[in-house]
Amino acid sequence: MEEQIAELTARLAELEAAGGGGAVTNTMFAETFYYLTIPLMIIIHAGFLAYEMGASRLKNVLSSGVKNILAFAFMIPTFYFFGWWVYWGFPTGLPGAPGPAGISGVEYANAIAWGWGESAQYMGPNIADQASGVFFGAFALFAATTASIMSGAVIERIQTVGFIILAVVLGSFAWVVAAAWGWHADGWMVTEFGVHDFGAAGLVHAVAGFFALGVLINLGPRIGKFNADGSANHIAGHNMPLTVVGLMLIIVGFWGFLMACVIVPGEAWSWFADKPSTIYGTPITLSALAFNILMAVAGGIIGAWVITRDPFWMMSGALAGIISTASGLDIYYPALTFIIAFSAGFILKSCADWLERRGIDDAVGAVTVHGTIGLYGVVLLGIFGAGYPALQGAAGEVPTINLMGQIIGAIVFFLCGFVPGYVVSYILNMFGMLRVREGAELAGMDVVKVPAAGYPEWGTGASKTPAE
Amino acid sequence: MFPYEEASWSVVDGAMFMGWGTALPGLTTFIAAVICVAVLVVGQRSETAKAKKFD
Repeated sequence: MEEQIAELTARLAELEAAGGGGAVTNTMFAETFYYLTIPLMIIIHAGFLAYEMGASRLKNVLSSGVKNILAFAFMIPTFYFFGWWVYWGFPTGLPGAPGPAGISGVEYANAIAWGWGESAQYMGPNIADQASGVFFGAFALFAATTASIMSGAVIERIQTVGFIILAVVLGSFAWVVAAAWGWHADGWMVTEFGVHDFGAAGLVHAVAGFFALGVLINLGPRIGKFNADGSANHIAGHNMPLTVVGLMLIIVGFWGFLMACVIVPGEAWSWFADKPSTIYGTPITLSALAFNILMAVAGGIIGAWVITRDPFWMMSGALAGIISTASGLDIYYPALTFIIAFSAGFILKSCADWLERRGIDDAVGAVTVHGTIGLYGVVLLGIFGAGYPALQGAAGEVPTINLMGQIIGAIVFFLCGFVPGYVVSYILNMFGMLRVREGAELAGMDVVKVPAAGYPEWGTGASKTPAE
Repeated sequence: MFPYEEASWSVVDGAMFMGWGTALPGLTTFIAAVICVAVLVVGQRSETAKAKKFD
């Protein structure tokens, strides 16, 4: 017995000396942490699905759903094929030289992010590498979220294949370029200008919002949206409660999205062995996220309510609250977060109306909620967070957050979204692949695109047909 | 401004939010509370005015 106790004691001392138990636990925690962000972010897609279908008229409800589901489905393989490679390959810009942190550049991306050759070992099951897949999964869901932001704006008149091409360009390329430049330790916007965008207000939301604007200019408004004198009509969706619940699901999923923005300890690429950090290596706590996300949601809702009293805009205000503060959720004080989010909810409807008066038919307000408010948040951090380190490192050696840097970041994020959105949709339009024919739009896209009925017991579509 | 002497995270060992050590947290908390109350006052007034139209 004594021998056994002595043996166990010696073994325990050995483990303590090696610190092996803690390291293994930390590694398993890190992998589980990112793995759980994936289903949480899929809730965002459940939300987008409900929200877009609810915002569609009865005749378009299923086609809007099909479009949304396909965007998700195409985003995962295309991000696997090349999106992941773009993220690691180009943080320093063209031609893809390695950065100071040693985790970027075309050569590095070739070694870890292609699905063939030696790098394939990091793109599939590998007992020696248990982290790449979960980290890839979290990023793939960022990509899918980005594409879905554009999806709502274009409902009820876009062609399915044209939309998928746009979604792939946005989700597996445009935002990835912005992320490589502004959301990576080697990103030139970070190292050169001190751009800080912890929760991706600019590089996800603004890029997606302004990509959608570029598409909407070429796509044009739905039939009946604008009168001959240019005044706009409100085209109500068929199910406001479904839309509002969808928006609430997006809020739920955003906890996973923002959770995945945290680099936790336990992996080879973690900044610290014992504490979490942002993707820039600056410290953050989950406590900071809990304080600030909750205050942002509340502030956005209240700001939108006082102006609109409309549950659609209130829940959009909740999103705007998060987006307007996302860049600085790591360092904002909760009451300041509330004030910024309130202001975002307060101006939201006015910004959407301004855009509508210029002939843009954004069916769900995506350009405003994600684009305008995203840039608003990026720039505000330059005012409130000036002087804070933008990157982990020694004093005087790391760039600090500053207004000019954040403005430059906002301009780059705008261009990363708007230019590809406009150019690719222009080309698709030239080839007749952007907008459905007028007759099909009037008849409703469900009868054209979907061999099923959303509500078969309603209306003339309630027919009995052979099952096959 | 950054509430530590050095603009580096290497020295951070406590509160790290904007305005720590200044009046900003208290000021923003007060403003946030005022916003909540003001919104309720405005909301009550406008809802009452609309409801009266149905009397």
